Amino acid sequence: MTRESFKTDAFILRCLNYSESDLIVTFYSSEFGKLRGIAKGAKRSKKRFANVFEPFSLTKIIFSRHRPDALAFIEACEIIDHYPDIRTDLEKTLVASYFADLTDNFSPEGKVNIKVFELLQNFLLLLGKEKATEATLRFFELRLLKVTGFEPALDHCAQCKIPLTNGNAYYFYPREGGIKCFACARPERYEEPLSAGAVRTLLLGKTMDLDKIKTVSLSGALAAECREMLVSFITHLLGKEIKSMKVMEQIRRMGLP
Amino acid sequence: MKAYAQPIKRLISELSKLPGIGEKTATRLANHILKAQDEDVRKLAESIIDVKKKIKLCRTCLNLTEADVCHICHDKSRDQGIICVVEEPDAMAAIEESGGYHGTYHVLHGALAPLDGVGPENLHLNELMKRINGGGIKEVIIATNPDVHGEATALLIIKMLKGKNIKVTRIATGVPMGGDLKYVDKMTLSKSLEFRRGM
Repeated sequence: MTRESFKTDAFILRCLNYSESDLIVTFYSSEFGKLRGIAKGAKRSKKRFANVFEPFSLTKIIFSRHRPDALAFIEACEIIDHYPDIRTDLEKTLVASYFADLTDNFSPEGKVNIKVFELLQNFLLLLGKEKATEATLRFFELRLLKVTGFEPALDHCAQCKIPLTNGNAYYFYPREGGIKCFACARPERYEEPLSAGAVRTLLLGKTMDLDKIKTVSLSGALAAECREMLVSFITHLLGKEIKSMKVMEQIRRMGLP
Repeated sequence: MKAYAQPIKRLISELSKLPGIGEKTATRLANHILKAQDEDVRKLAESIIDVKKKIKLCRTCLNLTEADVCHICHDKSRDQGIICVVEEPDAMAAIEESGGYHGTYHVLHGALAPLDGVGPENLHLNELMKRINGGGIKEVIIATNPDVHGEATALLIIKMLKGKNIKVTRIATGVPMGGDLKYVDKMTLSKSLEFRRGM
């Protein structure tokens, strides 16, 4: 039986060692969504697969498969962009790895979503050009949640539906996927409020032009509030912590120059 | 496997747990062991147990060793002021085979891999810093693999060593000796041009 070959642009999300020299590669393609494929002899390859299966690299992959739900057989792969400006900066490498990790976790296999591909492409380009900031991280998270159908409701109280009002404190409830005003939330003493300023910054980040993200200064308490909200929501949705986020925090705690 | 007696089945099952060994290869190996001399089989079994029992990590460089300190750290003719940082003991073995290096090593036993959850706490970086803070080190050569994980590990070590007044170097990247440029991948070729040297 002959197998049809396909050619697509794809981001490498993850590689898993399989046997002595093969790799199982998870990639996010523009035309087929997230796929997993086997690259025979990839670990020893010096020509066909040399340096191509690196996390978050943009590649052109040629693959074939028996059935749409079967593991793809990767026939060839070449690099389009390996983002050298990201790879030579530790913070940027950690952030790009987090982007790939989130994309992997929020993408079911075989579901085509060009917006996810474009989002990853745009943010990797941005990361290559600009500094890796808290705003870049949070706005990627928020936009990924949006394009994958998990956008949190932030512009009004989830219960009384009253629109967000400046100066008020809000509480975010991951289970309900939205914020509640103080009156509706009836918070316990241990619950941390979310300022209207933090919510507004996140709302701004959802649609802001990529070029303008560098102008957003998300630091101190505001950054902590936004981070806590989004990370708790992502952890709730996935039912687990994101590994690359834990590594990023370990390194940040080291307080290196 | 049904046709085999229980002890053979057990041997096949244990052998097939080894990397790169499937059931067929395990069966072939089991049959070879069955036919081998008693003495050879005993030596094989003893050597496996010995490795597990006797091998530990070197107190200084974390290389695999039988003694408290490995033969490289023990060798006073080597330059004790240079540390070559590698990911795994097999990388160290490869450098040793080259015969071009006469300093000491430090084995991290891994590399930063954020997507797999491998962070600095999983690497032997504190031991490296302890050695450096102990004094007498003039150069650290970072010989982690030239991939995303190895590069990230190198960048982390460079940051950790900032302000320590130690020469920090990274192994070179480029075209292999005896290679043909038209078969070298794009990334390696661009790196080799970036890091070209004067002659």
